[in-house]
Amino acid sequence: MIFRNRDFSDRPTALQIKGLSVATVGGRTETQILSSIDVTIRDGETVCLVGESGSGKSVTSLAVMGLLPKGSLEVTGGRIELEGQNLLDLDAGAMREMRARRISMIFQEPMTALNPVMTVGAQIEEVLDSHTRLGAAEKKKRVIDIMEQVHLPDVERIYGSYPHQLSGGQRQRIMIAMALILEPKLLIADEPTTALDVTTQNQVLKLIAELQERHGTAVLFITHDMGVVAEIADTVYVMRHGEIVEHAPVETLLRSPRKVYTRELLAAVPSLIPRAARASRDDAPALDVKGLTKIYDTRGAFKKGRQTRAAENVDFAIGRGRTLGIVGESGSGKSTVARCIMRLIDPTDGEIRVGQADIAKLNRAALQPHRKHIQIVFQDPFRSLNPRWTIGDSLIEGLLNFGQSRDEALKHAGELMELVGLPRDALRRYPHQFSGGQRQRIAIARAIAMRPDILVADEAVSALDVSVQAQVLKLLDDLQEKLGIAILFITHDLRVAAQICDEVVVMQHGRIVEHDTAENVLGRPAHDYTRALIEAAPGRSWDFANFRELATN
Amino acid sequence: MLGYIIRRILAVIPVMAIVAIFVFLLLRLTPGDPAAIIAGDSATPAQLERIRESLGLSEPLHVQLVTWIGQLFQGDLGTSIISNQPVTRLIGQRIWPTLQIGTLTIILSVLIAVPLGVLAAWRHRTWVDYAVMTFSVLGFSIPVFVIGYIFIKIFAIDLRWLPVQGYSAPSENLQAFFLRAILPCLTLATIYVALIARMTRASMLEVLGEDYVRTARAKGVKERIVLFRHALRNAAVPIMTIIGTGFALLISGVVVTESVFNIPGIGRLTVDAILARDYPVIQAMILLTSAIYVFINLLIDISYTFFDPRIRY
Repeated sequence: MIFRNRDFSDRPTALQIKGLSVATVGGRTETQILSSIDVTIRDGETVCLVGESGSGKSVTSLAVMGLLPKGSLEVTGGRIELEGQNLLDLDAGAMREMRARRISMIFQEPMTALNPVMTVGAQIEEVLDSHTRLGAAEKKKRVIDIMEQVHLPDVERIYGSYPHQLSGGQRQRIMIAMALILEPKLLIADEPTTALDVTTQNQVLKLIAELQERHGTAVLFITHDMGVVAEIADTVYVMRHGEIVEHAPVETLLRSPRKVYTRELLAAVPSLIPRAARASRDDAPALDVKGLTKIYDTRGAFKKGRQTRAAENVDFAIGRGRTLGIVGESGSGKSTVARCIMRLIDPTDGEIRVGQADIAKLNRAALQPHRKHIQIVFQDPFRSLNPRWTIGDSLIEGLLNFGQSRDEALKHAGELMELVGLPRDALRRYPHQFSGGQRQRIAIARAIAMRPDILVADEAVSALDVSVQAQVLKLLDDLQEKLGIAILFITHDLRVAAQICDEVVVMQHGRIVEHDTAENVLGRPAHDYTRALIEAAPGRSWDFANFRELATN
Repeated sequence: MLGYIIRRILAVIPVMAIVAIFVFLLLRLTPGDPAAIIAGDSATPAQLERIRESLGLSEPLHVQLVTWIGQLFQGDLGTSIISNQPVTRLIGQRIWPTLQIGTLTIILSVLIAVPLGVLAAWRHRTWVDYAVMTFSVLGFSIPVFVIGYIFIKIFAIDLRWLPVQGYSAPSENLQAFFLRAILPCLTLATIYVALIARMTRASMLEVLGEDYVRTARAKGVKERIVLFRHALRNAAVPIMTIIGTGFALLISGVVVTESVFNIPGIGRLTVDAILARDYPVIQAMILLTSAIYVFINLLIDISYTFFDPRIRY
């Protein structure tokens, strides 16, 4: 692992946060969100702010931007100095002038961070409209120039495109272009690559580093991904509960963390070393998929139809008690496969055998008795539970559909709660009263309530913090041990796949490019695409949990 | 884009056909003899026979329908029983005041309601917001004629700023037209403003929480531009929809308002026709108002593509 190991101690300070405190306002009680934090960033330096959700990372960045939500959060103390000038002294107009000109920010979700009804060219140009008095031709020239600097292809065409016509990576490049067009002193990047595929993430990280080098920009990079930290950070600040736990140069922090919390955080980072495949329990697979194909016809009223092959000729089988992972980037067809198997969408062709029955072509009524054998856990635990229903009602709905009495079902639900490590009285509460990790446990309990043979987990831990992720993965493992379920695990995260999968299927453009044991796929990849995926995984040569280089075999 | 517009226009045809058939059946399927209904209680048998003849009632129903629709296409909406004038001429004489008042009302309503809604959303949960919402509830719950009389009492009788009622054509005297149009327009606009302001606020509140609004602020864009260029355009589709569907309120409001302010428009024509059971006129009015309603909503459907480049269905 090559760390950046650059020394900035002789460079002038770009941003200095001194004793910054932020608290909630407007509510009945004042809650401290940030408690007197100190951060220093020098010219050209990349400071990573890491921590789990709710640690105050984003609040810190919004406070620097002066964009704390009015009426709910307020700075209660401290200073935020940009080149010696306290930003908290500025009035609204002066602070607005600072944005984009001196401090810029890019956000996590490039899909939603751009205005869908304006061309991206106009959105970049708006920065110039707000802060400069350039002529139309000069403005366009500047915009085209920065778009070339962020390596967008076919700049003239993209200039006039709308966000929905661009890919996620291209949109994030637009965001970066927008942020850097006025060469600000400080760039705040709030999880800018979290929503991107690994290969795209890699390119965007390189781009930020390149532009930082060229313009000498100080970067405050907020992330929860330790792999990214290892790749790009000069200095790391660890946050928890609105406080800075510790800060150190990146290599020092990863090799010899001083605080217990930092050690825990690093220890929770899943390793890229795959588990050894477990022995199959018996010969007949729980789920057997053959030649699964899903083709979408897009037909215009006046145009000829076009076909999109979302999944083509997908074959795999999962034995009882085993886990098969499907990995791939967005658009590779992995979720299409999951939805076909659940029959949430209808496959165009192929077989889906659950036990003895082929469910690929069954109609609604004929499918009904088979539904309970196969259950799904979705990615976003905040949206997959009905907010108006109690946990109990959500949990027993399936059981009632299959003829259990309400009392019986509730008793069963209580047992399930204990099985997934939640108290029984959780049944009477509503989803918003639980954390993300707890909700995902509930979603798992709901899925296994039906005693399924197969559990489909579609990015089931992707929205969770690493420590919670580790717990949920462990829960899945334990349940599999107890109930002998076959798990189909869809993920884009190779680290997670390495932790839980016996076998791994790699998909690209709707096809399987590689299928083998996790050990072979991740340890000795045969296909170029698999290799590219593994190489793009940030921090892959660092063993976070053991604070050292990964032992190479 | 063009395909979308053509498809929207084609979709109007079945809607208007259903309306036309309904209007046709309205008279034919009313219990009793249509000729007797039209002629009224004091008709002589000879008169009845003449009406039967003119309506072609001895023909089978589908032949009557074809004949009737053929006449529609030739612009023949029949003859008023009361005044014995062609219905098209009656409408031609009365439609201008209504169109003028109606157009003015729509413009006025949008100009008042949209900024009010934006303001309420921007100042969410402040007194501004509560004031707009209170107005909205009041405007929506008070009947149109009550509002009309209240306005007359205050502005015409007590303050004497404006005439009590009446109409003056803009081609004759523009100032007199506006002076007489203000109160009817405000009366008619109240319920419409309430509706649009409410929808604007709701739609804006949703959009103001979006990431791209935060992005715009992070760019250092002025708040006015954040609100009107970034947020409002994204909030526009539901607002346009409510302007279209709310148009029905306007049509029923016109009937009442024209009576209150004594304006010789098609609203009054409709009321008179209903009271006199002048079926050909009633039929024509149903057809006309439906056509206007469908046309306005067609325009609004097409306007979606202007507001949102993603709409291409």
